[in-house]
Amino acid sequence: MRPGEASSGAARPGSGLLRIDRELVAIGILGGLLSGLLGVGGGIVMVPLLVLWARYGQREAHAASLGAIIPISVAGIATYGVAGEVRIGPAIALAAGSIVGVRGGAGLLARIDERLLKVVFGVFLVGVAVLLIAHR
Amino acid sequence: MSGVTLYVALVAFGVLAGVASGLLGVGGGTLMVPFLTLAVGLSQHAAEATSLLVILPTAISGTLALRRRGIGDAGLALRFGAFGAIGAVGGALLALALPASTLRIVFAVFVALVGVKLIYDGARVTPRSEQRG
Repeated sequence: MRPGEASSGAARPGSGLLRIDRELVAIGILGGLLSGLLGVGGGIVMVPLLVLWARYGQREAHAASLGAIIPISVAGIATYGVAGEVRIGPAIALAAGSIVGVRGGAGLLARIDERLLKVVFGVFLVGVAVLLIAHR
Repeated sequence: MSGVTLYVALVAFGVLAGVASGLLGVGGGTLMVPFLTLAVGLSQHAAEATSLLVILPTAISGTLALRRRGIGDAGLALRFGAFGAIGAVGGALLALALPASTLRIVFAVFVALVGVKLIYDGARVTPRSEQRG
């Protein structure tokens, strides 16, 4: 994002009630593809693309990504569910924790400095990359 | 790990993944999939499927929390996520058909590059961002 630019994605032209930017469609499909492929939310690609391509502010991008993950994960669960791969027990235990944790994280997102948020997210991404390469 | 210990560990790890999810706008699957394969011993495919099942309630909970704080546009997010759902079916079918190791390397490189770029952007001192958070 350019330094002088406003940080709200919602204020951009073209993101009105009925129309949706082509960038968003492409980012959604790409995020969904990786979500289904890797079993992740897809935010790891959607957040950077929303910031770097669709020119969202960092905070707005994180919020948009989290919302988009809802329909994306429904589709992924359905597809894997048909294949019989879903393990209900561990999922319920993890979800019990993460539903609580996410509220804390969202509270932090509402307050955190955007620049610090970028660094935190960047460190998270590099850590994930190292983990993915180390454990193939 | 077995029995009760396993489930306590799962809940605790869920909290961690949840915080990351709410703060970083991701599902938390990037943390949960490695955890489920390495610590719990699920297969890659089962770990991915299970991770997605956790991600759904997490994303709903996080989106509701953000909405109450007036951050983001949930309607727009759901609309572009609907396109993502098409991609997700394709991605899941691809994952079920393929051993994903090569793709994971490509993905890791992409993630690392983006991470470095973000750290660079964030760490660069700009007078404007010193003003307030």
